[in-house]
Amino acid sequence: MTLEGFPQSLALRDGTLVTVRPLETADAKAVQAFYRSLPEEDRLYLKDDVTDAGWWQRFATLVASGEVVSLIGEREGKVVAEASLYRALRGWSTHVGELRISVARALRRDGLGTALARELVKIATRLGIDKIMIEVVENQAGARRMFRRLGFRQEAVLRGHVKDINGTKRNLVLASTDVSHIWDAMEALVADFSPSQE
Amino acid sequence: MQKSEIRVGGLGGQGVILCGMIIGKAASIFDGKHATLIQAFGPEARGSACSAQVTVADEAIGYPYVKNPDVLIVMSPDAYTQFAPQLSPGGMLLYESDLITLDETLPKGVRAFGVPATRFAEELGRRLVLNIVMTGFFAGVTGLLSFESVEKAVKSSVPKGTEDLNLRAFRKGYEYGREQAAVKN
Ligand SMILES: CC(C)(COP(=O)(O)OP(=O)(O)OC[C@H]1O[C@@H](n2cnc3c(N)ncnc32)[C@H](O)[C@@H]1OP(=O)(O)O)[C@@H](O)C(=O)NCCC(=O)NCCS
Repeated sequence: MTLEGFPQSLALRDGTLVTVRPLETADAKAVQAFYRSLPEEDRLYLKDDVTDAGWWQRFATLVASGEVVSLIGEREGKVVAEASLYRALRGWSTHVGELRISVARALRRDGLGTALARELVKIATRLGIDKIMIEVVENQAGARRMFRRLGFRQEAVLRGHVKDINGTKRNLVLASTDVSHIWDAMEALVADFSPSQE
Repeated sequence: MQKSEIRVGGLGGQGVILCGMIIGKAASIFDGKHATLIQAFGPEARGSACSAQVTVADEAIGYPYVKNPDVLIVMSPDAYTQFAPQLSPGGMLLYESDLITLDETLPKGVRAFGVPATRFAEELGRRLVLNIVMTGFFAGVTGLLSFESVEKAVKSSVPKGTEDLNLRAFRKGYEYGREQAAVKN
């Protein structure tokens, strides 16, 4: 899909300027470098092994097919954040999307994660998605707090669902937000009810 | 005086009235023309026949009822069967081509343009925007109102938060309408 309104220039809380734009195939090296630069502690909690040699190819295929919409944050030619919306193009959950966001350590707590999440929520509603999920490991307190503040609410806890690099099993928290209400008004508008009949 | 009579027909829940409203609004508020809108509902709302009559003119409109439309927009087979015979000679039929099959009810000399609006709406993510695809198709095929006017009318008529998808639906219908008009002319 083509995304309108990009690139965007974003001023973070401390004044740093970050460019936000859709990921392109030419970003392969920069994105991989970004992920490899994340401390192991952070990568521990990413669903995919982003340092795996085949990762980029798999990811790029998903982006090309539209199953993933990916935005990157860039500063001085370097990727400093990556945010993706995963969705099913077929089957019974085409109305559900999932967000995954990573921000470089040096730029955290300045609003970039929140801004990227908001942007992807906007894109999701545009794509007709009703429900947006996140999957976070229980002890990722920062991520859980950020999404809570964005309106996501815990829906389930899967016990021992995640094994970190040390082999320790951890609980996975599923949280979601429902964005379908904006379409209720449209539904009412096209109902073609006669006012006198209501 | 230049005057166009338009009828929109379909089922409750398809957004027939919204489509008529947007055309009327585009003409009167954004294109500086005169427009009237008459809405007709079936006995029950959802799923029953419903239609809108829109008259667009350069001058004040004395008689707002549409007897023989110059343009007929139909979204259901029933609406097609009911209204197609009334089309004025040389009129235009704009129909949902996945739902309606043309037959001999269509008067001779009528130019027919089909659009798979429901499919387009679903591909865009919401079946609900089918009426906006039809509205765009109307604007693209007929050229009766400017693109900008109808676009503004769509934007100001749909609920907050839904503008983006609705405008995409409008553009999709419009572009398809332009293509179809070019092919047939
Ligand atoms: C989670 C993550 C994306 C947040 O990015 P960010 O740019 O730092 O987020 P923001 O600056 O927008 O933070 C918004 C709010 O979230 C909360 N928050 C974020 N990180 C936090 C932390 N480490 N500790 C406590 N609260 C935190 C705060 O309430 C913060 O607002 P505040 O700074 O005004 O207090 C980032 O920490 C990250 O990349 N973590 C590793 C990957 C990950 O866990 N991703 C989430 C899985 S989907």
